[in-house]
Order: sequence, then structure tokens, then C-alpha cells
Amino acid sequence: MDLFSHSWLPFIYLYGLGGILFVAGILITLKAGSFDLRRSSHKKWMWILLFGFVWYLTMHALMTWAALGTISPYTVLYTLLIMVVIFVIVTLRFKKIVGAG
Amino acid sequence: MQTFHSIGTTTDWVVMVVYFIAIMLFGSYFSRYTKNTSDFFFGGRRFSWWLITMSIVATGVGSHSFVKYSAKGFEHGISSTMTYLNDWFFIAFFMFGWLPIIVYSKIRSIPEYFEKRFSPSSRFLATILLLLYMIGYIGIGFLTLGKAVIPMLPSAFMLLGMTIPVTLMGAIIVIAIITGIYITYGGQTAVIFTDLLQGFILLFAGLLLFFFGITYLGGFDIFWDLLPTEWKLPMADFNQPSSFNFVGIFWQDAIAGSIGFLFMNQGLIMRFMACKNVNEGRKAAAINILFVLPISAIVVGNAGWIGKAISITSPDIISPAVSPDQIFVVVANIIASPGMFGFIMAALTAALMSTVDTLINATAAIYINDVHRPIRRFLQKSFSSVAETERKELLAARYASIVVTILGVLAVLAFKNFPTVYEAHGFFHSTLTPPLVVGIFLGVFWKRFTASAVITTFVGGVALMILGARFPGILIAPFDHGIEMNAVHPYSYIRALYNTLVCSGVAVGATLTTRWQISLISRIRAKANAKTIMNIMVGVAILLFTTVMFGVFGMSTQVIAALGVIVLLPLTVTYFVHYDEEANTLGLTASSITIARKQFKGSEPNDAESKTVLVHWKLTESDESFMRFSKREMSEMKAHPGDLVYISDKRAWLGGLKSAHSVYGEPHAEDGIVYLTPDLVEAGLLVKGRELRAEKEM
Repeated sequence: MDLFSHSWLPFIYLYGLGGILFVAGILITLKAGSFDLRRSSHKKWMWILLFGFVWYLTMHALMTWAALGTISPYTVLYTLLIMVVIFVIVTLRFKKIVGAG
Repeated sequence: MQTFHSIGTTTDWVVMVVYFIAIMLFGSYFSRYTKNTSDFFFGGRRFSWWLITMSIVATGVGSHSFVKYSAKGFEHGISSTMTYLNDWFFIAFFMFGWLPIIVYSKIRSIPEYFEKRFSPSSRFLATILLLLYMIGYIGIGFLTLGKAVIPMLPSAFMLLGMTIPVTLMGAIIVIAIITGIYITYGGQTAVIFTDLLQGFILLFAGLLLFFFGITYLGGFDIFWDLLPTEWKLPMADFNQPSSFNFVGIFWQDAIAGSIGFLFMNQGLIMRFMACKNVNEGRKAAAINILFVLPISAIVVGNAGWIGKAISITSPDIISPAVSPDQIFVVVANIIASPGMFGFIMAALTAALMSTVDTLINATAAIYINDVHRPIRRFLQKSFSSVAETERKELLAARYASIVVTILGVLAVLAFKNFPTVYEAHGFFHSTLTPPLVVGIFLGVFWKRFTASAVITTFVGGVALMILGARFPGILIAPFDHGIEMNAVHPYSYIRALYNTLVCSGVAVGATLTTRWQISLISRIRAKANAKTIMNIMVGVAILLFTTVMFGVFGMSTQVIAALGVIVLLPLTVTYFVHYDEEANTLGLTASSITIARKQFKGSEPNDAESKTVLVHWKLTESDESFMRFSKREMSEMKAHPGDLVYISDKRAWLGGLKSAHSVYGEPHAEDGIVYLTPDLVEAGLLVKGRELRAEKEM
């Protein structure tokens, strides 16, 4: 059975259009100056924003592969756990944010 | 379709009653922290990110409930998680656009933003749209609650010799009375703390149910192998069936729903405003979307997946014909033991009540801020003192909560005929969010977006939306991505795309033609009979909108009438409404957040990176509410007199419950001591002898 319209087509649409909106959000707030990468606390937010996008993209891709039988559902779980560990380690390496930001 | 009644045992009912009493006592304990309307609605801007994150769980999970996602999980599988995993795309807009603006501009409600950014008339229209949205949302909450408890109730009961049937509306009215009583005497602090507790319980109960379900089926591998491939995929089929398809739900939920939830859900926004500062709000949003929502997606949908697996192995236990909206209760009853089932049901209904509580509280806030106070100002009515004003407003807020609860129950009538709660919610979001979403979004991110453009978006956009609803096969069909039109509930989801496009189109068109509007109005103003011309124009616009509203004449005439409204309205607004682009955008758009921060503080923000310090407090008698630290501690915090400071009880687990904001005063020489005035000690609920943590805010 052709499952493309049920698997990768929604994936491409979601991260294609969603990705454009996500990048637009970052660019517009950077241009507006409300998101200012000269501030160290905002550098940390940039990392979190980018991680979040990759986190969801990876999650959906892995879940699709698991559903199609390409990988085991346990691989999905382990990969996501590794990503959480990376997120925590990298985020903690940034300075603690004090104040309104 | 198979439906159920009288599920559960006496033990379950006992557990449920005990749970509810415990939750209400818990909430009542924190209601004593409600001293004024600021505490009642906003919790006093004091809480830590983790507390707000967990309290959002109960609100979010409650509204995107166990009932509706279990239903879709049962019908379509793991793609029921779709709507929980698509909220990241607008996060930058929220964190660095809307959130700082609502905090730094000190607005109390979304309509207030419209008055500051555009005009009082924009605020009036935004209030109407927002109240409709909030009351509709409350209606959806009540409908879900009713559908959740009906399977547990008997089909009828005897009272004084009469047989009284148990109906959906009857159950909803009883629930509404209980909910109304709680919120009326609680307030935002009580809601936040109750939701914190319930957030943990909900996640625990949902994961426990998943564990029981997997055990019941014989292990995860068996469960996984039982599900057909289509049921395991994380997203629905691109454009079919009409009741659950990816592309429709993308536009309804990922676009309109996400922006609606983050930007115009007053209940959620009040939670973020209860955070101690903007950064804490960002953390709460990020952690909630990144990690809590994926867990919540499993928590709310797994009963449907388990139900599907059981229906494959044992159709005699769960028939594939079970009503989808009842599957959660049916599965929980099968796999959980008596008592545990009562606990799960109590957690579910209490979570739904949390959502409704939050929404009622938020709607009452809109009433006080955008109806009660403006009317009082209009009537030039003032009370003898601030305390008297506070007392009257708190009373009015409580009455408003009752009225909103009643309207929420009535709103159920608009949604109860949809096949599932999910579709009712989808239709609701697609229909009510686009005008406000476009208004807020362009207001924040496009300085050129004018008062006349936003009013035209509200009225002209709604006119085109009405036409779309009336002629979906002609107007929405070109955007349907191949989705088949359901004749009874046409385009429940993809109508969000049409509605968003027409509202955006009207907004952009009205903004880009601003210069022509001003030029034309200048020429009209030069005429002696200018006012008469403009009054006629208003009359014609009203007549044209009425034509659209009531569907007079054929489609072509109605389309021309809607276009007429879109052309005439910006002209009339330009004539009658004063709008100054520079003054109206200062501190209210993303490009002027630096100014907003300066306005918030009252002087240039101090963003020097600093440390927190630990101090003990002593009382000082002073007329001004400054916090006075030693020179050394001021130096560690890189703070100067006049900067903003936040102090909180050192015990982090209190989440900021005992804390206060103020301004640094002149330093003294006593290290380790902060001098506080009695009013700050009272506002911060500070305890004598307890160490405090202090940090510079800006």
C-alpha cells in the first residue's frame, strides 16, 4: 500500500511550511531588535530555539520510520533520550540567566 | 454506535468525592493569598517558571482533553498526537514579540492592547470577539466534561417517585455549578496552585493508565505489533477523511490554534504574566512545549490506542463500534482496578475543571478590565478610596464569573451536535480565532498596520468568513487541498486557511492603501458637508454588513456587499478615529521593545550581568517602598539605586509564592541585610527570620 500521503507528505508539508514560519519568526524578531544575539542570555535562547526545531523534526522522522518498520520503536526512545541529555548539557554550559532578559 | 452508562463501582465514586474535596481544600488554602484584583487575576507577577509550567499542564491537558484525543487515538491511532507536537513554529514570535510586549506595556487584557496600539473602538471590537472566543472555549470545556462523566452516571434516577433521565445538558449544568463555586471564591493564585498539583497528578494518572494498558495486552511489543501501520504513523493522511486529515488540522491547529493559544488565550497569557519576569515566562513556554507536551500527547491519547489494540484482540470486550468520545472511560474501567478507576476519572474531570476555571477567571478579567472599568470611567463614577474600588471590583469579578459560567453552559448548545468533541473544537478554532490572530500578529510585528486596517480586518474579515461559511463549496473549496466536503459539517478544519487568508488579505490591503485613504478623507474634510458624507458612508457600510450577515439576496450580491464594507470601512475609521502611528506603536511593537522596557522601568534598563545574593530582612519605616541593600551586595548584583529588584523566600520549592518586586534604594553599610517597608513585607508574604534571595531585574 502506498503510504506516502500518510507519512512523508505530511512530514514535508509540516516542516517545509512550518520551517519557513519558524525561520521567519527568528529573522523578524532579530531584525526588530527584540531578539538580540549580542546579549549572552539571548544566545542561549537561540540554541534552545534551534534545538526545539531539530527535536521535533527528529521525533517525527523517527516515529515515521518506526511505524513503517524501518527502525524499532525502542530506537526512537533511546535517540530522544540522548537528545535530552545533549540539551541539558549544552544548556547548562551557558551562563545562568539572572534578571528579566 | 455503542454507548455506556453506570460504569464504575461505589469505591470509585468514594475516591472521586474524596479527591474533589481534597483539591477544593487545597485551592481554598491558597485563596487566602488573594488580596486584590491583581492577585485574583494575575497572581501578583511573582512565580517561578517551573510552577507555571506545571500549572499550564493542567490547563493545556484539560482543554486538549483525554476525551477528545482518546477518541481520535481510537479512530486513527498515534496521529492523535499531531496537535500536541506542532506548537514550536511560532515560539520565537511569542518569546521575543508578544510576551515582552504584554509584560512591559503593563496591559491587563488583550483588548487593552488594542486600545493602546490602535484605538478605543478597536478595543471594543476585540472585546466582543475575545469574549465570544472565551465563552465558546468554556462551552467546549463543559461539553467535554459532560461527555466524560455521562458514562459513569446511570441512564436515569428516581427522585420523590419520579424517574429523572440523566442528560448531557443536565450533567453539564451540575458540573457548571460546582466549577462556578470554586472559581468564584478562589482566584488566580488558588487556580495556579491547584493546577500545579493537578498537573503532576494528571501526568501520573495518564502514564499509569498506559502502563496498565500495556500490561493488560501482554507487553509493549505485543501492543506495537497489534496496531496496523496506519495506526502507528505520527501524522494523519494528508487530506482524508474529512473528519481527521493532516492538512486541515495543520491550518486549524498548527497555525490558527497555536497562534490563538499562545497569543490570544487570556487564561494562558495570565499564567505567563504571573511569572516573576519575562525570562521566566520564556522558560515556562519552552519547557512546556519541548518536553511536557510530548509526554502529555501520550498521556491523553493512549487510552484510545490501547482501546484499538483491545478491540483487535477481543472485540467482545471493546467493540469497534464504541462511541469514540466514551473510549477513555471504557478503557480505564477495563484495565484499572476499582478505586484506581475512580482516581483516574477524578484526575480527568478535575483537570477539565481546571481548564474551565482558568477560562472563567480569564473571562472575568476581560469583563473587569474591558467592560466594567471603561463603563465606570465613561459614567465618571469613582469610589471613595482605592480599597473601596478594589472591594467593588472583586465583587464585580465574582458576579462576572457566575454570569460567564452560565453563558458557557449555553454555548454548549452550539457544539453538542458535532460527532466528536475534537471536531467541535476544530470548527470552533477555525472559525473564531483568525480575525483576532491576524489583528494581534500584525499589530505586534508590522508597525504600518493601522487602526483603520485592524477594524476593517475585524468587520470585513468577519463578513468574508460569514460568506465562506454560507458558500463553502464555492469559496473554501479552492483552498481545500483535495479534502472532500462533508455536507453536514463542511470543512471543519481547512476553513481556518480560508478564514486566515481573507482576514490577512483584508488587513494587508487596508494597510497598503492607507495613503489613498488619508488623501481621499482630506479632500472630503475640505468640503462643507463632510460630516454628512461620512455619516452616509457609515450608514451604507452598516447596511452592506447587514446584507451579508442575514444573507439577503444571492451570493454575488453578498460578495459585492462584503467588498463594499471592506472599501468603506477604512475610510470611515480614518475620518472618525484619531490614530498617530508614532505614538500608537511606541513600546507596543516588536521593533520598539527596548522602549517598552525603558517605559516599564521608568529609566534606562540596567542589563549588566549579575549574581543573586542571599540576605536577611529588617523592617524600616519609610514612606517610599524601596529595598535597601548594602553597598557590597549592590555591587555583586551590579545594581544602582532606581533599578528594579526582585526578592523571594530562599526556599526555591515555594516557586515565588513569598516574593516581591520593588526598586533599589540608596545603599547602606550593613552586609547581609535588606531593609524593607511593612507594605513590601505584607505584599511579599515574607516570613520573619527567613533568608531571602535577591536579584536585579533590570
